[in-house]
Amino acid sequence: MEMDEPRVKRQGPRDEGPDKQSWVMLIYRLPREPSRPRVAVWRKLKTLGALYLQDGVAVLPEDAVTREHLEWLQLHIREAGGEATVWETKANSEAESRSLVEAFRSSRKEAYEEIIAEAERLRRKAEMGAAGTVAESLFKLGREFRAERKRDYFRSPLRQEANAALKATRQALREPGTYPSETGGQPETDTEAGGEKESGA
Amino acid sequence: MLWATRRGCHVDRTACIWLVRRFVDGDASFSFFDDPAQAPEGAKLFDVLGARLSHRGEDCSFETFLKEHELEDPILEEIAEIVHDADLMDEKYGRAESEGLDAIVRGMQLSMADDYELTRHTDALFDGLYAYLRREVL
Repeated sequence: MEMDEPRVKRQGPRDEGPDKQSWVMLIYRLPREPSRPRVAVWRKLKTLGALYLQDGVAVLPEDAVTREHLEWLQLHIREAGGEATVWETKANSEAESRSLVEAFRSSRKEAYEEIIAEAERLRRKAEMGAAGTVAESLFKLGREFRAERKRDYFRSPLRQEANAALKATRQALREPGTYPSETGGQPETDTEAGGEKESGA
Repeated sequence: MLWATRRGCHVDRTACIWLVRRFVDGDASFSFFDDPAQAPEGAKLFDVLGARLSHRGEDCSFETFLKEHELEDPILEEIAEIVHDADLMDEKYGRAESEGLDAIVRGMQLSMADDYELTRHTDALFDGLYAYLRREVL
């Protein structure tokens, strides 16, 4: 039923515009009961950062890894008595593709905002000298950030801000009292883990 | 023996290939296909829907390999945890190494010409990981 067309492997890094972006799509249906497999599929898609185009239609930007995850999900759905097919597809117009890319970017907004807010809360705490309790929470927050970054397929604008907020908190933890002022605003460079800026002559 | 799996290998399959070469079959050769129907006659399939050596329950294929071939090596079991976390992203074992491994192999997948070239390099990667973990148990 699936696997009728030979697949072409992408040979180089993705440098195409949004109209050339390939998507991998899972179309599925699961019995209403039991709810466990339904929830497991939903949760896995959420972890992957997939978007639902509508009920039972989830999409991800195509690469070897996202395709594979959807293929395994397809298997699990079938094993759970559901129906599922996986498709590689392109949007019909560039506008359509662009709006999907934008939807992926904004789907990460809330999570990044939470990370930024939490990082700032921890920074203030660190500045007040509560380094011990902050370190562990910051470690966890860093892990959350990395998980978020992994499902942020199109470099959401807030990623850099979240990264900077975490960096400022780490800094505050290392040298309480000498934290950088907020007047600098967010850095303009597009390097994300970014080396330190040159301190000039 | 001839082994076959899907083209476009990531952490789980590159780890399985390393495991086969180093611990299971010294004369192993590999074939990569787009469609299981193109798999060479008599080849042993792995990490393919429906194959015996594949995902099973919560396990990724590397874990299934260890069980099927009764490889009881504590270092391989640790590598299995790392591969599992990188492959299934469920943080089952909370292995920090999996994030780096995932990023590196994902990138190598894009920059290498094919799975033959890729797995020559990932073999060195897993050799290193094995040596690193082993130094702790000597």
